[in-house]
Amino acid sequence: MTSFILRRLFQTLVVIVLLSYFCYTLMTLMPGDPVELMIQSNPKITSEDVTRLRQLYGLDQPTYVRYFNWVKTIAQGDLGYSRTYRVPVSEIMGPKLINTMVLSISSMILSLLIAIPLGVIAALRAGTRWDYLVNFFAFAGISIPSFWLGIVLIIIFAVLLHILPAGGTFTVGLENITTFQMLLDRAKYLILPVLSLAYMEIGIFLRFTRSAMLEAMRNDYIRTAKAKGLSYWTVVWGHGFRNALLPLITVITMSFAHVFAGATISETVFAYQGVGKLVYDSIISNDFNVAMVSFMISVTMVLVFNLIADILYGVADPRITYK
Amino acid sequence: MKKITLGLISSFAIALLPFQSIAALNNGELKIGITQEFENLNPLIMTMSATTYIYSMVGRSLVTLDADGRWVTQLAKQIPSLENGQAKFSTDKKQIIAIWEILENAKWGDGKPITCEDFKFSLEVASNPNVSVGEKETFTQVKAIEWDPKNPKKCTFTYEKARWDFYQLTGFKPLPKHIEEPVYKKYGSQKEGYEKNSNYNKNPTLEGLYNGPYKIAEVKLGSHVTLIPNPQFYGKQPHIKKVIVKLIPNTGTLEANLRSGTIDTVSSLGFTFDQAIAFEKKVKSENLPFEVMFKPSITYEHIDLNLENPILKDVRVRKALVYAINREELVQALFDGKQQVAIHNIAPLDPWYTADPKKITLYPYSKREASRLLDEAGWKLEKDGLRYKDGKKLSLLFMTTAGNKNRETVQTFLQGQWKAVGIEVNIKNEPARVFFGETTKKRKFGAMAMYAWVSSPENNPKSTLHSSNIPSEKNGYSGQNNMGYVNKKVDELCEKIETEFNPKTRTDLVHQVLKYYTDEVPVIPLYYRSDVAVRPTQLTNFRLPGHQHAETNEIENWDIK
Repeated sequence: MTSFILRRLFQTLVVIVLLSYFCYTLMTLMPGDPVELMIQSNPKITSEDVTRLRQLYGLDQPTYVRYFNWVKTIAQGDLGYSRTYRVPVSEIMGPKLINTMVLSISSMILSLLIAIPLGVIAALRAGTRWDYLVNFFAFAGISIPSFWLGIVLIIIFAVLLHILPAGGTFTVGLENITTFQMLLDRAKYLILPVLSLAYMEIGIFLRFTRSAMLEAMRNDYIRTAKAKGLSYWTVVWGHGFRNALLPLITVITMSFAHVFAGATISETVFAYQGVGKLVYDSIISNDFNVAMVSFMISVTMVLVFNLIADILYGVADPRITYK
Repeated sequence: MKKITLGLISSFAIALLPFQSIAALNNGELKIGITQEFENLNPLIMTMSATTYIYSMVGRSLVTLDADGRWVTQLAKQIPSLENGQAKFSTDKKQIIAIWEILENAKWGDGKPITCEDFKFSLEVASNPNVSVGEKETFTQVKAIEWDPKNPKKCTFTYEKARWDFYQLTGFKPLPKHIEEPVYKKYGSQKEGYEKNSNYNKNPTLEGLYNGPYKIAEVKLGSHVTLIPNPQFYGKQPHIKKVIVKLIPNTGTLEANLRSGTIDTVSSLGFTFDQAIAFEKKVKSENLPFEVMFKPSITYEHIDLNLENPILKDVRVRKALVYAINREELVQALFDGKQQVAIHNIAPLDPWYTADPKKITLYPYSKREASRLLDEAGWKLEKDGLRYKDGKKLSLLFMTTAGNKNRETVQTFLQGQWKAVGIEVNIKNEPARVFFGETTKKRKFGAMAMYAWVSSPENNPKSTLHSSNIPSEKNGYSGQNNMGYVNKKVDELCEKIETEFNPKTRTDLVHQVLKYYTDEVPVIPLYYRSDVAVRPTQLTNFRLPGHQHAETNEIENWDIK
């Protein structure tokens, strides 16, 4: 097991390095550069300004030189400087990354808490009115665009009922408050984005849970377990659900891997200070350092969660071994 | 299908629901909504419009252009001119020497007086090749700043060249030397070292960094900025005790934020034009306590014609393209008449504007004239309703930024009008990044490219019309003459404008350029855009300028009644 993990970690590192160079090259191939954006907003910028700025930013260097310069900076523990915001990347990204994690993990937990029991019940009551209702709920979640749901939630809870804020991350200007009050304030701003994000995830997890459970409950070992006189819920959870876990682990770990970038739309609609929109903007505005750091985090998360999924397969199913 | 119908019904039902009343405002706090990102507030480094908007509340220049389009003083006692004797030519007449006297009570937020040293320091930092100042000439146009140690508020500026617009120093902002010099000394020799370590970056709430009516209480990039009055401000103290500028990146939810009270007003960096039109209708029908303000601006929406296109090389075809479009109908039908028809590149707000038919060529809508010109150019109408010459169809490619609803609607409108005179127009749009980053820059737009120029009043058209500004590999694709327009006379006129001190002669020179511009039609003028903002009716003294100097330059006058 240890050698398996070490081997996979090494492979992960190699993949990260190769992909980072590939992505860096792709970014340089995109039309425009940060200086280009300055020209668009200021027609008074002269050709001398353009040449000077390109030299200063190192944009006149070949891609591989720029890439190695970037790697050198990263290796020194410096994430670089954002050309859009004119601040160090760590300064702008750190707090936003935490906010996104809080938003994504909260919505993930909420969606799992709702989707798994509903999915199991729908599978056990397949073909009944209850199953149709749960399926309708799931399909609605999958098909309703999150930005639309977000706007509807804002209109209902912020504009009409005035019980939740329309957008933001916390109340600006709150002074002399306790940590608990601060947490409550933050929670108030999380409710609507979490709901809009979770609803889509509920739909997906619910459908996967239902189909995996349906499949698992048809197996011979379920009949055997029932014949052994085990209680209904022991059969369902101990035998059925455990065997349904494998496909669920794949979907859930992959969803965790994408929490980083998955909240972009919700963050934009709710003006939530997350990293999703930052990543999008950095790619659009050729803010290389921000884009590359976010890319690195994203790739690392996908690879690490893949590894976690592989490990969890073994935990869920003892028949799986690692060599 | 049922799901779609249900969705539509529920959206419609929500739209019909009455909104709750909006809470009354007072001078305690004003929350302004913007949709554009802002960066750190170092006045030398900032480039974004939203940053300029915020900086105008906390920092002032020697002069600015007010909402009436007049140059007025801010930190300076008066604007130097040849007439008032505060400016003169150098003995060789190649330079201008001007006296800028700083207000006695002009201070930084920590109480230190603003002196010539702060301006000289600003010039020194901006001239450093390791500092990424965008438009360097704003600073380096000043060759030297000197003063008598007995009066450090009376500065003598020696300019590099004798240019008539030497006094338009809005971009030349002072830096607090007593705060920033240690950082500059330590990091100025490193590439981008100063800006990375500047106090504007590391300690943005340091009150000594600002000299405007407000100072920064809190700044969260990508979220909001909180401003509180600066007791050291040289002018009158602002009425509003706290201003919060809140970033709402999604324009679609801006209205909901306004109605829910999350924000109180929408700045000129908020609603898109079509949203503002729609919201104005709601304000009237629901009697909401807002005024949607429209101010004709100098932003010029136009179509660049690629003069290397074999069809467009013929000026008769270019003229026919303009005659064939009914721009009056366009602005009425698409913009409720709230944007003005453009007749050339200078907007009515600009003192250089003219609509005098003796000075420029006008193109009133005339299908007949368009057809006549096309016939004359050899493009004959065939049975299929299109024109042909030597077996070749009169077909043009028309490009703009994809996803821009206004522009795409205008495109369809124009396509229809050109078809009516037998011109086939094929639309191909691209994301803004590709369109500006590659297509217009490298002049790969085939025939027609629609976009806007943002400039300032009395802006020399050199950057867009001078032949040296045709983007090419040689000049690093840095010019903005995307049409490829070459006219030696226009080049000479643009150069003369730069150094002509007599306002009347200068205006005459500009009008001569406009004559060539309208005669030779390198560009199809469409309309001058309007700036939009939403003002709560309780907020008074709020004025939209319509140019690049933000409305927040007058924030100390804003009052909530």
